[in-house]
Amino acid sequence: MLVSLKAFAPELTLVGFLSLLFLLDGFVPKLRENRFPLIWVIVSCFAAGVATAVGKGLSGDFFSGLVTETGLVAFFRYFFFFACGVTAYVTLGSKEIEERGRSEFSLLILCMTFGMSLMVLANHFLMLYIGIETVSIISFVLAGFNRESSRSNEASFKYLVYGAVSSGLMIYGISLVYGYTGALSYPAIAEALIKNNGTHPFVFYLALVMIYAGFAYKISSFPFHFWTPDVYEGSPTPVATFFSVGPKAAGFGALLHFVLTALSQKQEGGVFTPIAGIQLAPVMALISAATMVVGNLSAIAQTNVKRMLAFSSIAHVGYVLMGFVVMTPAAFSSIIFYLIAYCAMNLGAFWIVGIVTDEKKGSELSDFKGMGWRTPVMGVCMAIFLFSLTGIPLFSGFIGKFLIFGNLIQSQSYLWLALLGVLNSVVSLYYYTKILRAMWLEKPESSDSAELRLPLSQLVGLLGLALPTVILGLFFSPVLEMAQRWITQ
Amino acid sequence: MNLLDFSNSIEGYLLVSSILLTLGIFSVLTRKNAIGILLGVELILNAAGINFVAFSKFHSAAIDGQMVTLFIILIAAAEAAVALAIILRFYRLKQTIDADEASLLRN
Repeated sequence: MLVSLKAFAPELTLVGFLSLLFLLDGFVPKLRENRFPLIWVIVSCFAAGVATAVGKGLSGDFFSGLVTETGLVAFFRYFFFFACGVTAYVTLGSKEIEERGRSEFSLLILCMTFGMSLMVLANHFLMLYIGIETVSIISFVLAGFNRESSRSNEASFKYLVYGAVSSGLMIYGISLVYGYTGALSYPAIAEALIKNNGTHPFVFYLALVMIYAGFAYKISSFPFHFWTPDVYEGSPTPVATFFSVGPKAAGFGALLHFVLTALSQKQEGGVFTPIAGIQLAPVMALISAATMVVGNLSAIAQTNVKRMLAFSSIAHVGYVLMGFVVMTPAAFSSIIFYLIAYCAMNLGAFWIVGIVTDEKKGSELSDFKGMGWRTPVMGVCMAIFLFSLTGIPLFSGFIGKFLIFGNLIQSQSYLWLALLGVLNSVVSLYYYTKILRAMWLEKPESSDSAELRLPLSQLVGLLGLALPTVILGLFFSPVLEMAQRWITQ
Repeated sequence: MNLLDFSNSIEGYLLVSSILLTLGIFSVLTRKNAIGILLGVELILNAAGINFVAFSKFHSAAIDGQMVTLFIILIAAAEAAVALAIILRFYRLKQTIDADEASLLRN
């Protein structure tokens, strides 16, 4: 039991800080008014990250097999704590989250980070379900955080309906798998499946589809992506910033662990093959293709930048899902690399949308007119983020895509998928440059052509996200090697 | 033998749960009233709960299935609390709980 608690140290740290904030919020109302809660979030994320680093090396199952520790879990913890910390930092300078709501906001994102950790730790369906619901229920509240705005309310209502239905389908699918295999923990399910020697009843496949509904909703993959644009557009921008990175990565982490431990067998050389009777690759290839095509083609027609970036985030989910088609360690480490690159560039792009929204009270393309000339640093950073999202060489997004496509081509199968991915990247260049054109090539309206000075904290933060995006595009091998170590641990 | 006597077999439970699931999905898709949609979701969750208890009774020695049902009930309650709060806010802003009125955000 004590060992289990030790393995759970980062989450316990997070919960400890969360409870303290809760008490402070209740008993010292003065603290509620200023920046304190958000700085508290950054400190607690840092502390949880330190706890992860200290507890490194523990691996195996804990809490009677409910959770499991692997190198991957450690990576995703760092990822979530970083994303949560950056979100708090973004919120410090944002006008969309009203001052008196900041302590509630801080409590909610900390709690959501805890839920995301549970999702990737889960080695048991019950734990997975609890993790997903923890994240979902808090997301509904966060999406509707701007209480007086009809759009924010509508975002949370739509999120609620999609979330509740897909997680309901998921738990129903889990119940069918439980009936079929008599087990709830991933390794036990794999064992039972292997025993059946490749002949599974139809219901089992139906159950897998239902379970995928839950994952698909969390990562916003086809066919459960419909909520994404509406929710991102309606919710306050700092919330959308967090949604576009945190829960998505958590969904990928949980899906990765589920596919590897419950549906696959580890072979010599670390290659995973699906258990007999389960055809993962063709299904994943089709889902990946549909996701990126739908995301990119819908993004073209958008005039609202937040909505456009929401569709672009769907397209990126399609690229990452390509890694699931080839189940080699190299493919998994390219997923990890892609997630790291995506984290920096997407947080940055959404942050700039937030800054523009604060200034112009909207995020339409016309609000971006001339923004590059008004604040050159922000304009250059946005160019870096968008080029990287497109996958233009010299930026981290290019390396991420190159690794993922490369693995697909190396595997000698699904070449059409790699080709489709490249074509999609070309399409995405069109709508990303629409934003850049508005920022740099169009004149600002004469009423507000004055220089827009950003506070130093925002400049430092933006450069802090833009630099890794450039550096990872040039010196990617250390991070890639780190990703490989995380996979094999 | 009575054809409708399901008390000692799993089929009866599975039949009820699949009917509940179908009704739940049907009401989520067709209801315009936000509370109606919420009720549909509850039906889906309860269908899963019935499944877990039934499988736990007939197919498994352990009681982990029944544990899951307890958690489903708990989570459904938490979700309903948040959902009602959101719907209440929806009503305050729009003076209706017709889900079709949620149409500000679209292409």
